[in-house]
Amino acid sequence: MKRTVDVSIPIGPVHPCWKEPARVKCETRGERVISAEVELGYMKKGIERIMKGRPWQEVMFLAERVCGICSVIHNMVFIEALEHISEIVVPERAAYLRVIVNELDRMQSHILANFSYCYTIEHETLGMYLLDTREKVMDELERITGARVTCAFIVPGGVRFDLRAEDVLHLRASLDILEQDIKRYTGIFERGPMIALRSRGVGILTQEAARESCAVGPTAKASGIADMDRRLHHPTYQKLGFVPISRNEGDNFARIMVRFQEVIQSIALIRKCLDQLPEGPIRGGGIPGAGEIAYSGEAPRGELSYFIKTDAAGRVLEISIQTPSIMNIEACCHYMLKGVASLADVTSTFVSSDPCIACTER
Amino acid sequence: MALSLLYYAQEFLRGEWAKKFLAAKTAPLVTPPHFRNYPELTGKTCTHQLICMMACPAPGAIDVVMTPEGWKPRIHIGHCIRCGLCVEACPNGVLTSGRILESMFYDNTKLSFSFRIDVDTEKCMGCGNCAVACPVNKLIDAQMSHGGRASTDDLLLKVSEGKCHVLHVEKCTGCKTCENHCPNEAIRVARLLEAIHSPEEEL
Repeated sequence: MKRTVDVSIPIGPVHPCWKEPARVKCETRGERVISAEVELGYMKKGIERIMKGRPWQEVMFLAERVCGICSVIHNMVFIEALEHISEIVVPERAAYLRVIVNELDRMQSHILANFSYCYTIEHETLGMYLLDTREKVMDELERITGARVTCAFIVPGGVRFDLRAEDVLHLRASLDILEQDIKRYTGIFERGPMIALRSRGVGILTQEAARESCAVGPTAKASGIADMDRRLHHPTYQKLGFVPISRNEGDNFARIMVRFQEVIQSIALIRKCLDQLPEGPIRGGGIPGAGEIAYSGEAPRGELSYFIKTDAAGRVLEISIQTPSIMNIEACCHYMLKGVASLADVTSTFVSSDPCIACTER
Repeated sequence: MALSLLYYAQEFLRGEWAKKFLAAKTAPLVTPPHFRNYPELTGKTCTHQLICMMACPAPGAIDVVMTPEGWKPRIHIGHCIRCGLCVEACPNGVLTSGRILESMFYDNTKLSFSFRIDVDTEKCMGCGNCAVACPVNKLIDAQMSHGGRASTDDLLLKVSEGKCHVLHVEKCTGCKTCENHCPNEAIRVARLLEAIHSPEEEL
């Protein structure tokens, strides 16, 4: 079949609105996009190859350096996979602290993604407000773990640092401010007429297309699929009564709103954790041994899975990481971008699926 | 028109606003006390147990050197990843970083080490470099330091019948000298690190 294509336009690899390099090649007629392809490979680190043959103590720190934005979940999935291999039991207090730090990390990742979208649709004021709010979350992360990005908080058999009474008070006070701020910004985003013009009905991903392209995370939740959330299979989240949220619009607006709602949900989860936080030890000990496992957890962008094979001394013999963004980029380029009306919407649609290229290429 | 002018006049003629406008200044950058920075020395005496070097996950980030004041750990800033494991591991509290030391005391956490030496018998050609280089072997049997024959079986590593054998793994200090001196990469040392937190027990 012969297609009439006016011109084929590459966007990227370096684009002022994107956080990381990737190239989207759009075939357009006029300004309407007929089809799009993505080209990756601009920032391959080869981190899985570096991990091979190293002891778990080193791989633990390498794992959280896979991605700078969602570093806690990489740490958590790797350590929990090790714990499943060698049957290490985590103290209950440590399990709750893990959830608190993981949800804080999810909050800052979602707020950064929404900043990125607001910046791309050129609503810079809301973007800057969001970045300012993100700093509060980062301050809390730093207060609990001692570092802003690569926290190194979760270790086999527990967590590194305890949450003290004054930290709990500080965290609760910050959560109140955060909730107020995020609700205000959600209102601005929901009711803004200019934002609606750029977001509503743009880049629609239907539920069938989301299933076909195996979309995960907020991208799938915005299209009405919520059952793929890996947090539903995590014992601590099950104790907290976690129910994933979903929306039915499937456009850029819905994806951003799902992230805002997840931030509010994370705040509620952290509050629930703080209420239920049991007393007791935070480190149970235990030495990782030999075995192999495929284990997955819910990163801010969707399902993150690790396949690990270790030897008796805890060295990682084989490792392979599957990150959520590869599915979301597929959904974005092959389904969302089809029929997007203008080239300005191509960048905003690509950003709304929150692609993390550092994760994807590893 | 007049109303909006009045509004702006009210907005700008406030003393607070004018002060902020004329003396715009960002708050000074302060490192918060809980930030986990590069480890620093507390001034306590280092006893040269080298546990910080064993715990460190980043290659070449820390070493312990002899200075006129005694042994001292030295941090190489470009290599250090600020994980703080050396601070947790040090039995004497020589290093500090953020509030790790404080929280170690508060949480009553204890780190224990053990080591595991794996010899790949397929690759080992029995050259004995590991047994000669091993500093623990030298302390036990002085003959080993100049490549002599082993006189006892108390050694950590011993070559017999053309293969390297690990006799007393509990004596290993995790220095990895054997691993660095093996020409065939047949010997590998792994550190098994375990931390246990016991709030009831007194320090």
